[in-house]
Amino acid sequence: MMTIIRVAAVLLTGFFVGLTLEGVSRKIIARIQRRYGPPWYQNFIDVFKALSKNGITHGWIFDFGILMALGGVIATLAFVPLGDLVAFPGLDNLFIIVYLFAVGALGMAMGMVGSGNPNSSIGVARALTQMLGYEIPYMISVSAVMYYYKTASVSELMLSQQDSWTLLKMPLGGIVAFISLLGMLGKKPFDTPIAPAEIASGPMVELSAKYMGLLMLMHTFSIFVEIGLFVDIFLGISNYWTFLIKFTVIWILATLISSVLPRFRIEQVVKFYWKVPLGLAFLQALFVLLGWVF
Amino acid sequence: MIPISYLVLVFLFGSVVSYLITKANRIVGAIFNFLLTFYALFVLWNLEIGHTEKLFSILEGVENTFKVSSLGKYFSIISLIVISLVSFFIIEWIRKKPSRPAAFNAFVLIMSAGIIGVFFSNDLLTLYIFWEIAVLGSFLIVPMGKEDSKKAAVIYVVTSAIGSYMYLFATFSIYNKYGILEFDQVSRFLLNEPSNLFKWFIILFIASAGIAKSGIFPLHTWLRITHGNAPDAFSAILSGQLVKMGSYVLAISLSVFPSTKLLASFYSGVPLLNYILIWLGNISIIIGTFMAIRQNDMKQLIAYSSVANGGYILVGLGVMNSIGYAGGLFHVFNHAIAAAMIFLSFAAVVYRTGTTKIDEMGGLIWKMPWTFVTYLVGIISLAGIPPTSGFISKWMIFNALLTKGMFVTLTITFIGSVGSFLYVFRPLAGVFLGQLKKKHYEVKEVSPVMLIPMLVLTLLTLFIGVYPKPVLDFIVSIENSLGIKPIEYSGTIIKTSLGQWDTLTVFTMFAVGFIIALVLYIIFPRGKKVELTDQYTGGEYLFNYDLYHYATGFYRFLERLYDKHPSFEKLYGMLVSFFKSMGEIINELFYKVSPSGYVFWISIVILILFWVRW
Amino acid sequence: MANHERNIWEKIADQLRSKSLWMLHYCTGCGAIELPPSMTSRFDMERFGMGPMATPRQADILFITGYLSAKTLRRVIYTYEQMPEPKYVIGFGSCTLNGGIYYDSYATINRLDYYIPVDLYIAGCMPRPEALLEAFNELMKMIRKGEANGWKQYKENYDWYKNNQIRSLGEVLVHDEFHE
Repeated sequence: MMTIIRVAAVLLTGFFVGLTLEGVSRKIIARIQRRYGPPWYQNFIDVFKALSKNGITHGWIFDFGILMALGGVIATLAFVPLGDLVAFPGLDNLFIIVYLFAVGALGMAMGMVGSGNPNSSIGVARALTQMLGYEIPYMISVSAVMYYYKTASVSELMLSQQDSWTLLKMPLGGIVAFISLLGMLGKKPFDTPIAPAEIASGPMVELSAKYMGLLMLMHTFSIFVEIGLFVDIFLGISNYWTFLIKFTVIWILATLISSVLPRFRIEQVVKFYWKVPLGLAFLQALFVLLGWVF
Repeated sequence: MIPISYLVLVFLFGSVVSYLITKANRIVGAIFNFLLTFYALFVLWNLEIGHTEKLFSILEGVENTFKVSSLGKYFSIISLIVISLVSFFIIEWIRKKPSRPAAFNAFVLIMSAGIIGVFFSNDLLTLYIFWEIAVLGSFLIVPMGKEDSKKAAVIYVVTSAIGSYMYLFATFSIYNKYGILEFDQVSRFLLNEPSNLFKWFIILFIASAGIAKSGIFPLHTWLRITHGNAPDAFSAILSGQLVKMGSYVLAISLSVFPSTKLLASFYSGVPLLNYILIWLGNISIIIGTFMAIRQNDMKQLIAYSSVANGGYILVGLGVMNSIGYAGGLFHVFNHAIAAAMIFLSFAAVVYRTGTTKIDEMGGLIWKMPWTFVTYLVGIISLAGIPPTSGFISKWMIFNALLTKGMFVTLTITFIGSVGSFLYVFRPLAGVFLGQLKKKHYEVKEVSPVMLIPMLVLTLLTLFIGVYPKPVLDFIVSIENSLGIKPIEYSGTIIKTSLGQWDTLTVFTMFAVGFIIALVLYIIFPRGKKVELTDQYTGGEYLFNYDLYHYATGFYRFLERLYDKHPSFEKLYGMLVSFFKSMGEIINELFYKVSPSGYVFWISIVILILFWVRW
Repeated sequence: MANHERNIWEKIADQLRSKSLWMLHYCTGCGAIELPPSMTSRFDMERFGMGPMATPRQADILFITGYLSAKTLRRVIYTYEQMPEPKYVIGFGSCTLNGGIYYDSYATINRLDYYIPVDLYIAGCMPRPEALLEAFNELMKMIRKGEANGWKQYKENYDWYKNNQIRSLGEVLVHDEFHE
């Protein structure tokens, strides 16, 4: 029973905080561009408007793909500890979260390509390639952390940082994870898969109405998973509220960085990730093996 | 219950019977094959561990025997599951293909006899004999596929011979030195062996048979050609089963001869020899992954993925701690099932469309939905995504590498894992999703006879993904018998030193998430179903929607980064042409037909004779 | 056009729709140049929740700037039919109203709402961004009141619109890339 309440709490937090922060980030970008910007609740309106329209579908795989995407991401989010709010204590293994996350990604990719539009196939091909780019340095830097604390459970990783934050202990790993985080979020300069002016918003090209709304929800939840993991692993012990504060700070930082950068081409993304962050991640792993941790 | 030796004999005689029956009626012959393999699965399932049978004695002082070990039983059951289900598939498939059905059925049974013998051999020589029987059977089936397949068969048998002769050399060296060949005794003698060089030589040469068979670098090139050109349904056995014979030999060379006890530790408890093998596995993962991303032929694509997965198994086995070894063994099961599913769904596609090129197909999901489901679950398992069984083994291997602190190997396994998302998606998008080609409008789903084995495998991999206890029980008994600390698990919770996870909770949570999504989906207005050709085209009218399908050069932007990669296939090709030209020189010199040549050689010989004054 | 009574859910939905209008701009004429200032810092369309979208599937408004030739009209109709309902059309500039300066051209059409239902026109040559924003506000009010019903009209009078379209564009006899 408690588990159900906790899962519900996690999901509702993901929904409200996630959508609010997306609206806030639009506001911030607007302010950087010297505009007034939409209200903070704009994304709630967008989601529900999209859900209220009468869309079109390209057959069962299109529908099923979107359900699988949203279902997979909801399942993933339930395993992410939000500070001291842990839905499944002891079962929040990092590998599980990372790979369960792939269910959602696969569902989205499958549904979108199932629409039969080549633009979405190109977008998905790019998204997968980009994944090959950012996932490797991210996993190495996180593995160094796991090796150091001898556990793969996210909440235990968080609780192990009593003396100081992992970010301060392993600054290189933290930087690598943050750069990879930008790629995961699909923020500029790593928004090649969605490139609206180039491939008509990539995977979403055939998405209308309800389908768009469900996918926006999925996007919100996945942002929550990605940043939530970063906050838990690198930014010290936090309870529910400090978790949200740290989350907001990271999200705004990512927004600020992305709003002033142009877009990489896809092979530049892979080259970049496999040069700089991967090298730094290996350096960090070497430091951890040698015991050079602050 | 009949003894194993009789079972092998039944298979060998059954092959003759099957040949005759298939000559009369193809389908009855295929049904006979299925019943026999299914019966064998039943027999093997009920075997007791430790059961021993005497066979014959070729070398002095060596009794050739069968002995049921847990390792052999595990491998043989996986093999027979794959073979019997593929045989069921063949009942329908054999109506159109292959070119010589009678021989095909007979050789499948000969091969199965060899396989059963391999897994229950108690000494190196018996293993070799049955190994060659299995190779013979499969080698003769391969040429029944496409045009290139004769060449493929030659490459297959040559590569296999390199491995097995090295193995035979090691076997005779052991016999020469100790006079025994049984696994237990050999490992006992090796423990007392003072020379490190000899131990290295034995383990490496025995492992080389496995390396050749499971397509590990540097003997990986045969997989693409053979898997790609073999008869379609047989590719499932090749990749799902025969490659696993190689993994079995690797497991024997690393664990039955306990490499961690034989050799000094090199890096956190792993000997240098294992480390070298792990690196061969790493290179295989890299090659398999990146070459699979490039392929346009779907069978060759999955063949390269077999290279990568063979690498995974070797990495897992090579680490040789409790969790890594378990991961390697579990991966044997997962890859066998997943590869069989994928190749069977490809066989179904080829059965209906007659092509294996990804960019010649598209949108087949609308015509063959169940085949698509099989392929989908197969790739989810192959890519190691929960809630299928494929994730469990990958998780174990990651955990093992992480506890050992092997970061470079860990990176490469991550590359292999993420890369597998890329390459499995290529046939998914190119063959099953996207625009349906005009020439495939009339394609129908394959018949239930073909669907049943595919769906059985699908359910099996989902079931083991949620409830892995049956496989874990096997692995624990194997690890117990080999003196490795068994992995811990209780119910559906698997534990390691790095934490635990519960397969059932993950599955339940996924189901809950799916239901939440479904509820949201249902309460909001229903979407209007439109045609597949009703597409956003930037306002343009299209008439040939065949072209509105993105499948050619799917990852071209990524492939461009490693277009100029060094290729071992080319290197071996150069070697082949070098030997060919050497042969031609000799031919030119010694076998010249013209009289002047003979006069020249006679004069040379006479000159030499005079010179040595004989 | 009989204005049927909206139920409570439709009223809420209309409120939401009016506050989040996603726009597909079909820019063939000179009017396109008025859009950038209305999107960027000076007039900032996003504060009303509006934004440009890449494909008709995601869009709510079809925004047509400038004249339409017979060739582009086909694309507009095609695009309009791909949009999910409810959908709104804004005709921008005199060209969509009465042909503008091209009123006597053999190749352009004069009135857009013979072919697809237009909810709102912005007169002028060119209308300035202020007029644009005024029009958007007007459209939002219309949506909130349930008056922007062009998409329903199109469904109800589909034959009439189709006849007009065919009369003007001609029946397509040869089905290939060059004739339709």
